[in-house]
Amino acid sequence: MEIADKTRPWIDRLKVYGRNLEQRLGRKMPSVETPPNGQSEFLPNFCAGEVVFNVVVVAEMLAIVINLIIPRNFISATPLQDLLLLSIFIQWVALAGTAVLCYTRKHLNRLPNLRALGMAYLLLLLTTFTVSECTILLLWAVGRLRTPFPEWYTSFHILNLTISAIINGLLLRLFLAKHELQSRTLSEARARLQALQSRIRPHFVFNSMNIIASLTRSAPEKAEAAIEDMADLFRMMLSQDETLVPVKNEIDVANKYLALEALRLDNRLIVNWDVGKFPRKAVMPVLTLQPLLENAIRYGIEELPAGGTIDVRLWEDNDQIHIQVSNPLPKTKSKQAKSTPGQSLGNIRQRFQSHYGEQATLTSTEDNSRFTVTVVLPTRGGNP
Amino acid sequence: MRVLIVDDEKLARDRLRELLNDIGGYTVVGEAMNGAEAVERTGELNPDVLLMDIRMPGMDGLEAAMHLMGMENPPAVIFTTAYDQHALDAFDVNAVDYLLKPIRKDRLAKALSKAHKLTMKQITEINQARPEPAERTHISVHLRGNIRLVPVPDILFFLADSKYVVVRTPTEEHLIEDSLVNLEKEFGDRFLRIHRNALVATGYIKGIEKSPAGTWQISLKNLDKKLDVSRRHTAQVRRWARNRPMSA
Repeated sequence: MEIADKTRPWIDRLKVYGRNLEQRLGRKMPSVETPPNGQSEFLPNFCAGEVVFNVVVVAEMLAIVINLIIPRNFISATPLQDLLLLSIFIQWVALAGTAVLCYTRKHLNRLPNLRALGMAYLLLLLTTFTVSECTILLLWAVGRLRTPFPEWYTSFHILNLTISAIINGLLLRLFLAKHELQSRTLSEARARLQALQSRIRPHFVFNSMNIIASLTRSAPEKAEAAIEDMADLFRMMLSQDETLVPVKNEIDVANKYLALEALRLDNRLIVNWDVGKFPRKAVMPVLTLQPLLENAIRYGIEELPAGGTIDVRLWEDNDQIHIQVSNPLPKTKSKQAKSTPGQSLGNIRQRFQSHYGEQATLTSTEDNSRFTVTVVLPTRGGNP
Repeated sequence: MRVLIVDDEKLARDRLRELLNDIGGYTVVGEAMNGAEAVERTGELNPDVLLMDIRMPGMDGLEAAMHLMGMENPPAVIFTTAYDQHALDAFDVNAVDYLLKPIRKDRLAKALSKAHKLTMKQITEINQARPEPAERTHISVHLRGNIRLVPVPDILFFLADSKYVVVRTPTEEHLIEDSLVNLEKEFGDRFLRIHRNALVATGYIKGIEKSPAGTWQISLKNLDKKLDVSRRHTAQVRRWARNRPMSA
């Protein structure tokens, strides 16, 4: 009974911990599984209600199995009493182990993965040993044992540690696999969302809608045209990433995008086009040009109170499409522009990489307060 | 109620104007295209409330609000924004009004009816919540109840003087109530501490020379004045001089 009393505060604490975590889970799912740096943690959260429940169930099953194989009258008079004592002991070990991992997880996750796993495993074995030792001391303290070192002392520890090593190994493996699966699904979903958001920039979308709302009163025809442009643009943004389109189509889409931005930025945006001759078979991935222009507007024109000119040059040379987009830069970079234009080109570069591998290049230069991006692609699409 | 509309997009300003017309009872006293203009116009036109976009070129809405809060009788500010996730969370936490674009008439009417003045604390906390806490593009100076904005790139040095800090530009001198510690924290990448009471814009340093008395002094571009380098800061100044880009 004393053992049960001892365990109760532990279990209560775990319950409270679990409940707090469940509340946090309910509010913000990703924040629990992922630390702010976006990297998934190696060890799962052992304080979560679900994990604790699984641990309790497995521990109880173990208790039943052991109870079935030990000889009768080995511990006490009746099988039921045996089961009760075994359960108390095993649950104690199991929950103490869970609690230890729960509290040390933060530190363990800072270690390299393999060492973290090893440490967790050792901690569990240490917990088993400690609880076993405590049990003997407790029995001795309440007078059920005459000495703290009964003749079965060594075999008791060896037995417990062996069982613990096997069961804990299996359980850790199970939890890790499940955790990995979860975090992989989560990071995949996040990557998909990010890809979509990098295409459809919310700031652009909502500002454009505000502008269209304004135009419906003053200039309904312009509003109509803007909605049509936006629809076409969205269709492209939602299309498959792999689609290759003729250069002419890409320029059309870019023009629709620019028409929308021109409404917003008014006379602050001037675009100079210089398009060379292209063979009819010249293709590029859908939405190659538009993100480059968006980049130029976001970090150039939008940051300049008086606006400026974007120069766009496209030409074909030696079976390669060359695209050059240059924009003016604000003299003193304001807060939003602190993340330099170069950084946001990462997404665009990544797309080219997946399309063309090493066959495509994207370079950027900054001089005389102008920022220039140059893209070179194989004319016929190339093979990734 | 007198309203000042601040947005860099003309059509967005037009829309607010029309919606205010529909609601009735509000006079649009003027428009501004960025934060600096908003602060200027507020001084001239004395509006009761500002409808102000957050993202604007040059000085943005949050910084403008920061300068406005220093006024004797600041106007109420309602922010408008298309999308600004980090800022909006902070707005909710600090109970600051904002309107999401496209702006709805009923939301605008409601926000105006309960428009209230911001506090410096609210603005500072919102600013802190942003992924990159902003440094001001301007320093606001109070002149006979009016606000003057001094662009930070124009400032030669800050000099602490008992209760005030002197802000010196090539042509003017102003007093502000701030501390050098704060200023250094905010503009540390642009200014260099050369004395317990002085921060100098590194871009305006012409040279470092030894005075007849044996102490180090800094001479400035655009101003015929030398500033003392204290003994405690000499090492730091010399380290900066060694690492300065060749072009400077």
